[in-house]
Amino acid sequence: MQASRARLFKEYKEVQREKAVDPEIQLICDDSNIFKWTALIKGPSETPYEGGVFQLALVVPEQYPLQPPQVRFLTKIFHPNVHFKTGEICLDILKTAWSPAWTLQSVCRAIIALMAHPEPDSPLNCDSGNLLRSGDIRGYQSMARMYTRLAAMPKKG
Amino acid sequence: MESEDDMHDANDVDSLEDFYSGETAMASDDDGDGDYDFGDNESDGSDDITSHRQQNYTILSEVDILERQEEDILRISTVLSIPRVAATILLRHYNWDVSKVHDAWFADEEKVRQAVGLLEKPVVQFPKSRELTCGICFESYPRDKIYSTACSHPFCTSCWEGYVSTAISDGPGCLSLRCPDPSCGSAVGQDMINVLASEEDKEKYTRYLLRSYVEDNRKTKWCPAPGCDYAVDFVVGSGIYDVSCNCSYSFCWNCTEEAHRPVDCGTVAKWILKNSAESENMNWILANSKPCPKCKRPIEKNQGCMHITCTPPCKYEFCWLCLGSWSDHGERTGGFYACNRYETAKQEGVYDETEKRREMAKNSLERYTHYYERWATNQSSRQKAIADLQQMQAVHIERLSDKQCQPESQLKFITEAWLQIIECRRVLKWTYAYGYYLPEYEHAKRVFFEYLQGEAESGLERLHQCAEKELQSFLNLDGPSKDFNEFRTKLAGLTSVTRNYFENLVRALENGLADVDAHGASSRSSSSKSLGGNGKGKGGRGKGASCRSSGSSRNLEDTDHWSCEHCTFANVRAVTTCQMCNRHR
Repeated sequence: MQASRARLFKEYKEVQREKAVDPEIQLICDDSNIFKWTALIKGPSETPYEGGVFQLALVVPEQYPLQPPQVRFLTKIFHPNVHFKTGEICLDILKTAWSPAWTLQSVCRAIIALMAHPEPDSPLNCDSGNLLRSGDIRGYQSMARMYTRLAAMPKKG
Repeated sequence: MESEDDMHDANDVDSLEDFYSGETAMASDDDGDGDYDFGDNESDGSDDITSHRQQNYTILSEVDILERQEEDILRISTVLSIPRVAATILLRHYNWDVSKVHDAWFADEEKVRQAVGLLEKPVVQFPKSRELTCGICFESYPRDKIYSTACSHPFCTSCWEGYVSTAISDGPGCLSLRCPDPSCGSAVGQDMINVLASEEDKEKYTRYLLRSYVEDNRKTKWCPAPGCDYAVDFVVGSGIYDVSCNCSYSFCWNCTEEAHRPVDCGTVAKWILKNSAESENMNWILANSKPCPKCKRPIEKNQGCMHITCTPPCKYEFCWLCLGSWSDHGERTGGFYACNRYETAKQEGVYDETEKRREMAKNSLERYTHYYERWATNQSSRQKAIADLQQMQAVHIERLSDKQCQPESQLKFITEAWLQIIECRRVLKWTYAYGYYLPEYEHAKRVFFEYLQGEAESGLERLHQCAEKELQSFLNLDGPSKDFNEFRTKLAGLTSVTRNYFENLVRALENGLADVDAHGASSRSSSSKSLGGNGKGKGGRGKGASCRSSGSSRNLEDTDHWSCEHCTFANVRAVTTCQMCNRHR
């Protein structure tokens, strides 16, 4: 408990300092609970997610950093490795390939990388996975783009 | 009279040999079964069996396993001039295959080092400063509080401890633990574990290492018997997979089911699946019930008329035969106890398909039940025989020895008889699985198989009867009996005869009843048309007899004995009537 709190506090200070360094990621710690975080990440450029801002919820376990944080999308997103309803993410480093040397910041970076490089062979969103696997890149991109516009971009006017 | 003396001599020689060769087998109850082998057979001169006698496996205790593991590690460590810990990591990576490690290492040492995580020099340089930052908790520590693997990525003691303990409680994966830095693959060896893990975790780690040596190694497996700690090292290639563990459990090394010679692993797997599967229940329901035409619940008709009323809430009334509504039935459909609609429809072939399926399912169920019952009976009979043998060794042998004034070493024939019974029950049991899968159209084979099985079974029944009932009478006597020697001759003889029968059976089944194929075709073409099924049956039987006599002619090569044509008993040369079945030579 103490170790995880100390480590999270270090990360908190690092985040304050690094804000300007990594403009893609904004990590916000819950006001009352250091084990609850929210992240805002920018959709990577040259992807259907470009221009969108996606909100993530991070729940950190007491055994952190020996155990990985639980991360899910709060913003609706059409992506093969993200559950369309719950926002659950299928990413190896959040499960078996976790290493205690990862930080919340690097987890967010890994998720941005996943958005740019979907893994259609282990899909949580089968419709999206099937579009990619059948080679219908345009279909996938227009669906993903539509949901980015609907859910991840400020409404105009 | 003379001939009887000869018999005794022969037996005495046998038991003397047994005494010397099998002394360890007698040392304890457990070993008795373990050392017993189906091919371990002195009185039979057959060559086939001799080759089976060589054991192609070794039973390893935990101490043996550790010894072998240590040997392998030392060998790699010496040959490759690398530390012991590195050798362990290498061997584990290559599933403890020493020659594979050699090949890979000498082919491309650099590549192997990369893959396994054995670095030669650090990937990061420690800054000159006196303090270092731990890569997990990001705190600064003096150098002596920082550990790292060969890569030099710095982590503090308490973070390492947490990392190691998490990995060990996650399971055997901890054996290939790497540096916590995600970009680094440097291996964490047992030396680090010993420094950083708790006593309990260290023990777990050692346990995983031992288990890995058995489980990841292609040549070794644990004995599958519950609670047994022995492992078996097996030399692949001999084709015979039966293994007898020191715990007295016999199993097939290939599929780790219980020993099932002469039946192959595939058949056994099918049979076991069949016994456990719901498929038989489904067959029963299909064969014995019809679904209610309205609510589709299966209904079994066990008595009464054809007017069926389904149970509430359905309450649908229908005709059992045509499954039509009962309100359509009456005088014009042929009265209440017969259904013309059904008869006509049946003649027109409307009901044929479902009816046929039901009929087939019913037949197949009866067939299966037939074989299963016999399989299960032999199984329980074998369990009983094992218990009887234990009782025999624990109590009866000593009592018998006192009563009949015979040294216990000379009562070994009783134990042997029981071991033979146990083995035969096992073989017989599996022949029923074999029989179930022997195709119906292989008529000659079926007949031959059933002939062999029948002979073996009746031989075994005789032996079992003799070992159980006749022995009992000697146990109840107060003093030595004159008849005891006669009993000895009989039981030893029956044991040997039964062994012969079963060896014939096992041999025949293991070569897929090929003897039938060789002659079967010609006899079928000449006789099948004129005589029909019956003729084929006779042909099959004839094949069986001829095969058996050719089998016994092999035994005849032993010049001191002749093998009885009727029961295969090996009689001494001097006698002209079989000592076992009293028939003339």
